[in-house]
Amino acid sequence: MIRHECLELLAAKMTDHLVVTSQSGQRIEWSHLSKHEGNLLVGMMGCAVGVATGLALALPHRKVIALDSDGSVLLSLFNLATLGNLRPKNLVIYVFDNGVYSGSRISYPTATAGRTDLAAMARAAGIANAHTIRDLEEFRNQGLGALAQNQLGFLVCKVEESLLHREIPRPNTDLAENKYTFVRYLERTEGKTIPFVGRG
Amino acid sequence: MKDELAKRLVQGLKDAGINFVTYLPETRLSQIVPLIRDDPEMELIAAASEQEAVTIAAGATLGGKQAAVYMENTGIYVSAYSLLTIGKQLGVPILLVVGYLGGVPDQRNSFLYSTIGKHTIPTLEGLGIEHMLLNDGDGLEGKINDAVRAANALRAPFALLFAGEFSV
Repeated sequence: MIRHECLELLAAKMTDHLVVTSQSGQRIEWSHLSKHEGNLLVGMMGCAVGVATGLALALPHRKVIALDSDGSVLLSLFNLATLGNLRPKNLVIYVFDNGVYSGSRISYPTATAGRTDLAAMARAAGIANAHTIRDLEEFRNQGLGALAQNQLGFLVCKVEESLLHREIPRPNTDLAENKYTFVRYLERTEGKTIPFVGRG
Repeated sequence: MKDELAKRLVQGLKDAGINFVTYLPETRLSQIVPLIRDDPEMELIAAASEQEAVTIAAGATLGGKQAAVYMENTGIYVSAYSLLTIGKQLGVPILLVVGYLGGVPDQRNSFLYSTIGKHTIPTLEGLGIEHMLLNDGDGLEGKINDAVRAANALRAPFALLFAGEFSV
C-alpha cells in the first residue's frame, strides 16, 4: 500500500470536511489531489494534530481530519495522552507510517521501523479506536469507515516508502493565503465571523 | 496572588473576549484554573505540553474562538517551535498568559528560577513576540483587552507576563 492510493480514496469522500495536514510528502500529494477550501496545509511537523484538535473542539459539529506521518507523531507524542482524555468525537487522524524520515533524503528509519507501535501507544493513552491498517482493502473498510463513526479515530496506515510526491509540483499557495481561504470558507459555511479577522 | 486579583484576571480575560483556554498549570497564577473551569462561558483544555497547548489554541482560533494559553514562562521555551511556526509564520493570534518566574519582580524568585526568568524576555524578543509586564492590578482589565486587540491586529501571539503582586 502506498500513501497516494489511500489519499485518492480519501479525497473522493470529502464534502464539508476540514482537513489539516502536517509537513511531509502527504501535504504535497493531498494538495494535488484535493483543492477543497477546507484544507489547511500546515507546513510544520508535529503541529497538525494539535491544530486539528483545536478545530474539532471549536467546531464540534464538523468532521475534522488530520493527515500526519510517523515522524510527526513521534515528535508530538504528548498529543496521544491529551486526546486519550479529550476524545473529540468529530476528529479522525490518519498517520501514514512509512517507517522512515523520507524527507531527510537518506530514508533514515524512524522508531516505527523498529519496535514502536503507534496504534498500541494510542490505545494505551486512552484512544480506544486506534488501529493499524496494513492494506488497501483494510483502508477502504476500516480507514474510510472511520469517517462515518461518531468517535475519535487514530488510524496508523502502514505504507511503503514512496517518492511520488517529488514528482508532483509543490503547492504554490502561501501559508497566509491558505489560512484566509480556509477561514473565509469557515465563515461562509458556518454563517459566522471568525473574530480575529476583524475589519481594517 | 490574592483571590480578588485572580477573579479580576479571569473576568478581564472574559471581557476581552477570551472563551477558550489551553493550559499547563504552574505556581504563580494557578488560582485562575478553577475559576475558568467553573465558568460556563469559557472552555478549559488541559494540555500535556505547552507546545501542544499553543497548537490546540491556534486550531480553536481558526475555528472561531478567541483563545489563550496559560503557562509558566518555561513553557515559552518548550513551545518556541509552535509559537514561531503556527503563531508567527501562519499568523494566528493567541493570548499567552504567562507566570513570569525568576524575573526581577517575581516575589518568590530564587536560584531555582532566576536563570529561567533572565532569558524569558530576550527569548520572546528573539521570536518577535510582543509582550507586556504586569506587576500589579492597576488597569488590569484594560491591559488584557489591549493585549487581545494587539494580538488580533498583528495576527500573532502576544504575551502577558505576570509577576509582582501576581507572584505573591
